[in-house]
Amino acid sequence: MTEPVLASNIMLATMAGAMMILFGAFYAFFFAWSRLKNKASYATLAYLSYGIFVVFTVVLVQVLHLSGYWRILVALLLLGYLLAPHGIWHLCVGTHPHEEEIATRSTPGKSSGLS
Amino acid sequence: MSLLKFDYSSLTPGKKLAVKYFIVAIILFGAQLLFGLIAGAQYLVPGLFYNKLDFNVVRMVHINAMVIWMLYGFIGSVYWLIEDEAQTELVGYKLGNLAFWIFTLAVAVVVVVYLFIQIGPGNQTSLWLINEGREYIEAPRWADIGIVVCVLIFFYNVAATFMKGRWTGIAGVLVLDLVALAGLYLAGMFYTPNISVDQYWWWWVIHLWVEATWEVLVGCIMAWSLMQVLGTPRKIVQTWLYIEVALMFGSGILGLGHHYFWIGTPEYWLTIGGFFSALEPVPLVAMVVHAVYDAGKHDFKNRNHPAMAWLIAHAFGNFFGAGVWGFMHTLPQINLYTHGTQWSASHGHLAFFGAYASINIAMWYIAVQKLRGDVPFDSRLPHAWRWKSALALLNIGVLGMTMALLISGYEQSFIERAIEGSTWAGYFKAQTAKWFMQGMWWRQVFGYATALGYVLLVWDLMTIGKDVPQSVIEADRKERLHGQKTRG
Repeated sequence: MTEPVLASNIMLATMAGAMMILFGAFYAFFFAWSRLKNKASYATLAYLSYGIFVVFTVVLVQVLHLSGYWRILVALLLLGYLLAPHGIWHLCVGTHPHEEEIATRSTPGKSSGLS
Repeated sequence: MSLLKFDYSSLTPGKKLAVKYFIVAIILFGAQLLFGLIAGAQYLVPGLFYNKLDFNVVRMVHINAMVIWMLYGFIGSVYWLIEDEAQTELVGYKLGNLAFWIFTLAVAVVVVVYLFIQIGPGNQTSLWLINEGREYIEAPRWADIGIVVCVLIFFYNVAATFMKGRWTGIAGVLVLDLVALAGLYLAGMFYTPNISVDQYWWWWVIHLWVEATWEVLVGCIMAWSLMQVLGTPRKIVQTWLYIEVALMFGSGILGLGHHYFWIGTPEYWLTIGGFFSALEPVPLVAMVVHAVYDAGKHDFKNRNHPAMAWLIAHAFGNFFGAGVWGFMHTLPQINLYTHGTQWSASHGHLAFFGAYASINIAMWYIAVQKLRGDVPFDSRLPHAWRWKSALALLNIGVLGMTMALLISGYEQSFIERAIEGSTWAGYFKAQTAKWFMQGMWWRQVFGYATALGYVLLVWDLMTIGKDVPQSVIEADRKERLHGQKTRG
């Protein structure tokens, strides 16, 4: 049986959920920016964001009384959020080869004069 | 229309049809806001229009107008892009035109019936002619059938046009999505006396129809818009369209489970819904990577600043409205308290505006640019304050409403659900709580800001680009020629 959050923890649970998605996005942002600029400092920020994401996830696990198989799902979620930006970055690099060349023979409806 | 000095002569049949859909969408958008303001005011002055225009009717028209104007916007957007995409003229323009007038007449009749026959017996006559009684999809059965027929005509026009012309990746995704758009709506049309079974299928329309087929439709429109506005190569947008659809379906279809928590379905839906709902923001977070990649590699130079701004608003609105506001209360342990409160309304306002309203508005600006003879809508645009103010007011207005509803929703969840245990007395205690009412007042204030933004938006759409100096048009033409030469 799922045990609901305590009334006193509703706000905490909500904020933890919101912060998870925000810091998940910050992690993705800094991760991509570090790859783009090739700077380790951004990578540090990325993994710091991921660390905060993990902290809020743990908070959520506690206040929502997640136990048993729920914890396995949370572990999968943490792994998924960690690896997804890596995968998407590889896709970005893989889907943008010889971009300038593609651009010249691209869409007929495309306005010219664009960079 | 001649007063507006729009250039209709260069429009192809598909684009002419699209403009009709856009006009009705804009009018219904206004109706949605008007009825939203009345509904908001009824929270503050409960006796307002009592027994004349009751809250349940006002709220129904508010939500139905939104669903229908967005549908009009999407159909218009597809008609706008289809001929460029298929590289041939629209097949079945007359049929499409007939469907447009039937659909519009049906919408008008349904709204008039909603407003004039507000109370009646729950029998087959009411179901077929007045109101089907299902929240959000109250349209009577005859109108339901009409919607499906119009979507099927739309499907035929789109599929036949692509078959006659060029078949692209966007075309493939779009055509398959339209099959689902017509098919899934049927799930909300049959009657069953078991409320759990009824709700089970009803959510297919609300979640899968609106959140899955519409999202894919938006993905297609976004892909085409990026090629138009930013000149992004087709190969890239199509590849990403496939990736987006795969990610979205991977998490979104079973994410439907978060609606099955409390309707009497088996307990395993708590796990399925919880897990896949937690995965639903993954595509949105992952897309941050792609946005950063593109922002770093390109400078976003474009000739339609309002459209670009609304596309960016779409990306952010979708992320916050659907991602952050959705995940905030999606797991069953918290959803037990928040389900169906003003918290849901807070999520709904930001998610619908971010994911769907903003991209429709972007398409209107793309269309208006064409109607103005393809003049540049860039930094040299006169009266640019109008589109910027409309953008700011609409976004601040919706964000303000979202925050205000969140405060009211929190108070409602806390008092009505957590403390009072969902009793009837608890409901009224929450509805009159101080913070709940303050949230409602602020919602109304931001509602007025949104309405003002809408007025500015309509004014801007009617006048934008009318006064672009000839010198700017000439300079723009030269820049574009120069661009073509450098590329060639």
